[in-house]
Amino acid sequence: MNIFTFLEAITFLSIVKLLIVTLMGVYCIFALLMMRQIAAMTKAVTMQDDFIIRALGVIHFVFAMVVFLYTLTLPIK
Amino acid sequence: MAEIYTKPEKKKVGERISVSQIRALIGKMGVDSLFTSFSSFPTKVCFETQEDEEQIVLFMRQHLIVNIPWMVVALFMATLPSIFSFFPPYSLLPTSFQFAGTLGWYLFVAGYTLAKFMGWFFNIYIVTDERIVDVDFKNIFFRKISTAKTKEIQYINIQSSGAFETFFGYGSVFIQTAAEVPEFEFVAIPYPDRVGKILNQLIDHEEQEKIEGRVK
Repeated sequence: MNIFTFLEAITFLSIVKLLIVTLMGVYCIFALLMMRQIAAMTKAVTMQDDFIIRALGVIHFVFAMVVFLYTLTLPIK
Repeated sequence: MAEIYTKPEKKKVGERISVSQIRALIGKMGVDSLFTSFSSFPTKVCFETQEDEEQIVLFMRQHLIVNIPWMVVALFMATLPSIFSFFPPYSLLPTSFQFAGTLGWYLFVAGYTLAKFMGWFFNIYIVTDERIVDVDFKNIFFRKISTAKTKEIQYINIQSSGAFETFFGYGSVFIQTAAEVPEFEFVAIPYPDRVGKILNQLIDHEEQEKIEGRVK
């Protein structure tokens, strides 16, 4: 496969998909950081029923991962 | 017959005399819930650097009303996908891409909401019988925990300005200290006057302890 064949294979949808996947990948890292920060903060100050906040962080991260995995399956043709 | 002996009030098991005195002086204020903005002597709160016998006197956050602006923004953002389809670049995409875009947008709104909520929830001000603790949480990449001993407090300034602050009864307390952190700012907290009064009582109590030689 030479360079021209590769360039010809690039479509508008493939560029859009690449952008979305990159964005979602970065967002997953952000969600992971957020989850870690919540864990650190709840350790620094322990409060009544603070597992709810930790659960929110985990749910957000799982949601981000689900959307990321969905974007990987997007058809480009 | 004249009263010659009065049984002293029973103090909580394991509690220092000074803490019992402060508790009697201040009493119980606010509620002990997860989302409370103001609570005195909270039962299920402790912090990492808390000493064994140290008692939390006040636990504070910003007034709940400060969350209204970002809540309005989040609600507005949540309604935006309904108008996305009117814009050509979005409407030209296949349905699966539109669905991914909408999901991504709701994820972004959820992240914004969670980040803003964390900014309020983890911005905590604690007053113990020994010191003041300011937990600053500006964003997910920045957090700072500052402390100063009560005896290091030099000046307390209470400020409540503006229609909202007057109407909803919140304001700021600025505390100048001789500690490494020269100023502590308890911003937009409920009952700033009471907080100022309690801090003054704690300073007086600390001085009294010093005179009596009970200081730690």
